[in-house]
Amino acid sequence: MKKIHIIGIVVIAVALAVIVSTVSESSTYVTFNEAQKNEGRTYHVIGKVNLQKDFIYNPEVNANLFGFFMSDTTGNEIKVLYNGSKPQDFERSEKIVVVGKMDGTEFHASQVLMKCPSKYNGNEQDQEKSLSDSQH
Amino acid sequence: MDIQYVGEHLQFGRLGNIFIILSFTAAFVSTFAYAFQVYRKKEDPLSWNQIARASFFVHGVSVTGIIVLIYYLIHKHYFEYYYVWQHSNTILPMKYMWACLWEGQEGSFLIWTFWHVVLSIVIILRGKTWEAPVMMVMMMIQVFLASMLLGLEIDHVKIGSNPFILLRNHPDFVNLPFVQMSNYLSKINDGRGLNPLLQNYWMVIHPPTLFLGFASTAIPFAFAMAGLLTGKIREWVKPALPWAFFGVMVLGIGILMGGAWAYEALSFGGFWAWDPVENASLVPWITLVGGAHVMLINKKNGKSLLSTFILCSSTFILILYSTFLTRSGILGETSVHAFTDLGMTGQLILYMAFFTVMTIVLLVWRRKQIVDKGEEDDASSREFWMFIGMLVLVISAIQITITTSVPVINKIFGTKMAPPANVIDFYNSWQVPLAVIICLLITIAQFFKWKKSSMPEIIKKLSVSFIISVVATFIAEYYLRFPRVQHIMLLFTSIWAITANFDYLVRIVKGKIKHSGSSIAHIGIGMILLGALVSNVDKQIISRNMLNVDLGKDFPNNENILLYKGDTLAMGQYYVSYKDKRKEGVNLYYEIEYFKANHSTGRLEKEFSLNPIVQLNERMGNVSEPSTKRFFDKDIYTHITYAELEEDKTESDKAYKDSKTHKINVGDTVVTSNSIFTLEAINKDVNKKDLALNDEDLAVGAKLKIVDINKKTYYVEPVFIIQSGSIFTKEIEIPDLGLKFGFTKVDPETNKFEITVAEKKSNIRDFVIMKAMIFPGINILWIGCILMFIGTWIAVRKRIVESKK
Repeated sequence: MKKIHIIGIVVIAVALAVIVSTVSESSTYVTFNEAQKNEGRTYHVIGKVNLQKDFIYNPEVNANLFGFFMSDTTGNEIKVLYNGSKPQDFERSEKIVVVGKMDGTEFHASQVLMKCPSKYNGNEQDQEKSLSDSQH
Repeated sequence: MDIQYVGEHLQFGRLGNIFIILSFTAAFVSTFAYAFQVYRKKEDPLSWNQIARASFFVHGVSVTGIIVLIYYLIHKHYFEYYYVWQHSNTILPMKYMWACLWEGQEGSFLIWTFWHVVLSIVIILRGKTWEAPVMMVMMMIQVFLASMLLGLEIDHVKIGSNPFILLRNHPDFVNLPFVQMSNYLSKINDGRGLNPLLQNYWMVIHPPTLFLGFASTAIPFAFAMAGLLTGKIREWVKPALPWAFFGVMVLGIGILMGGAWAYEALSFGGFWAWDPVENASLVPWITLVGGAHVMLINKKNGKSLLSTFILCSSTFILILYSTFLTRSGILGETSVHAFTDLGMTGQLILYMAFFTVMTIVLLVWRRKQIVDKGEEDDASSREFWMFIGMLVLVISAIQITITTSVPVINKIFGTKMAPPANVIDFYNSWQVPLAVIICLLITIAQFFKWKKSSMPEIIKKLSVSFIISVVATFIAEYYLRFPRVQHIMLLFTSIWAITANFDYLVRIVKGKIKHSGSSIAHIGIGMILLGALVSNVDKQIISRNMLNVDLGKDFPNNENILLYKGDTLAMGQYYVSYKDKRKEGVNLYYEIEYFKANHSTGRLEKEFSLNPIVQLNERMGNVSEPSTKRFFDKDIYTHITYAELEEDKTESDKAYKDSKTHKINVGDTVVTSNSIFTLEAINKDVNKKDLALNDEDLAVGAKLKIVDINKKTYYVEPVFIIQSGSIFTKEIEIPDLGLKFGFTKVDPETNKFEITVAEKKSNIRDFVIMKAMIFPGINILWIGCILMFIGTWIAVRKRIVESKK
């Protein structure tokens, strides 16, 4: 057997290991209901922030606790507590992803990823709005 | 009926469209002309080369013309053009106008196309016999890139996106009643403006550098394809080698500039976050480094030819893949800074598929000539260890690619995988061990000779740097106290890579500049890894909020502190104070002062002050920009994570917060945020007529004395009223203090009175919530970047000289 063959096998083995580890370490996009079934496991949940309800943020008491209500893709609304300060321009986020786990009826997020469409190329609605702004 | 629109400048768009069509067709003609030149028969009287060059010239002029035109339109604020309206506005400073050009996808494709033109000129001037076959491949690439700007729609299939489309013709606007007015243009006062994140000097130089890097990967690819097409399957390596190292240098610097931008302007606190967009350009750099090194092997002994083909072509295809990842919108939830889909995904996939299939077909066609001849490499040869290094790089690239491609895998297989919960840790758990191996290889490989070397001699040569590194690692570890073995390993191997290469530079190269390229570049790589390691692992968040109660294990992170204006808080070894904020243009500057306690005087002495910024942008959202104090051995990074902005206050300023109720006796004193008040007496003889009350109604007044912080005294008397069975209060306001007093209840049993106090929202003292971190040793990383740049440049020079021989 040539050295090159041994090396080839090693590379293939490592590539397989990478795939297996990526799959096994990967989290899953789920709904709050599914996350609730497996309390304590970390999941990604995609959803929308309920902007009608007040945010919970009292920096005078605790600058590192921010709470809000969010509904997942099935419309199930749940209170999310985030371990950090209130993200800048949270009100503008339309779609968000929270990473964390369920604890009782609350979702404890370790990360909040916001997607502000207006920040990185707008969508149609946003453009109409900004155009009507500029007409004033 | 046609509408006569007023005030438009349509001639520029017409000219632009002519340039777009010309650039596409000229690239097409040039491709074929070069192909005919390559395959022409000797007796063919037509000079295909001249036709090819002429059409290349037309192509180059057109591409440049498009860029100049767009820049001109942005500069003139012609908002009738959608691209101008979308990416710029009138208040933008001159220096950022170039950034508008490449904020959009069309502009970034343009800049990429433009660099291909520039590099092609060098090929035409210097390529000699390689000109025709290499340019044929280059122009083929240009046909695809130029098609990205066509903006045609044939049977609902969109081909390209035209940067000269008029606002009123853009799909988002075409049906709005507003654009039916002939004077619609006078109603558009301003454009949407440039994303505030991009208004940074790094964003003026990072994208063009990165795209030059992208463009320079096309040249080794074009040489490889030219070699396969013409049958000169070995000869292409030598002239392509300087280009490969040029690509390593430029792409590397481009990526690091992106890191510098992230470190300075983005608020995630670090220069590398394994974001898909960052990974997308890192992977081709890694494969290009691997490719350039196997090309060196091949030039020396003619072996590893297949690897050179695979690495050069996969680098180029990975560049296309990275374009696909960032521009198709497929990254969706996993990345914050990807472009949205412009409907060109299909085109990008076609583009990628074309060059992949082309490479595979050509390799299969020439497979018999590519096979290595002769004996295997000896394990004591330099080429053997370089080859191993290339494999480690490939493994690293595979790991990053697969993990970054999770959204693509989801799309293809319909799965719902999300990235690992802690992506950064996941990448590091793979990449740190691989970096350890890479460091070891760049340490030892140079000491091996080509073909065969004697082991005792190598051990002897390496022993000095080894001993120095072991000692240095022990000393460093004594201070740093890394708990994890993999970090200690990387600490040691990166130090050894630096010392061994320095040793090689001094004792073996003897400081001859011409041959010092690889040693200097490898010292640079060692320093980049060492700096990244130390600044990341030993990063200290000094803004930990110690006052908070424990929130349980889900909430371990107390990284932000609240700082009231005027207060001073202890933070790490410093005391910080939020002094003031000021507004300049669109920026709010916060002045944060850092003090140190002087133990002999017992006083706080000011060390420095930092000005983190919140950039106000109504349309795109406010953006917070950190500020960093640079020291020789560390950086102190300060970032406003939350602040009550002035804009939020204007409306709610006059509003009162919910009132607080105080149950008190006569003579009691209560504290408010800006004063103290005392219930002095209860007045039972309130003049009912003044309050429009009847004699049978009940009215009791509470005589209050209020003293503010300046010892100014106010007297007010809110009244408790029972009128025809219902209870209410007459509130009294003190506008100066922003306070409102009410008298809501009398408890005859306990003789207590309920006084309500409402405070104006603006009474809340101004505060910021900030995060502060120390990045130690970050300068090692930046010095490493510079050394890598210099070292690679020397290597490029050396290879250029050699390729001429």
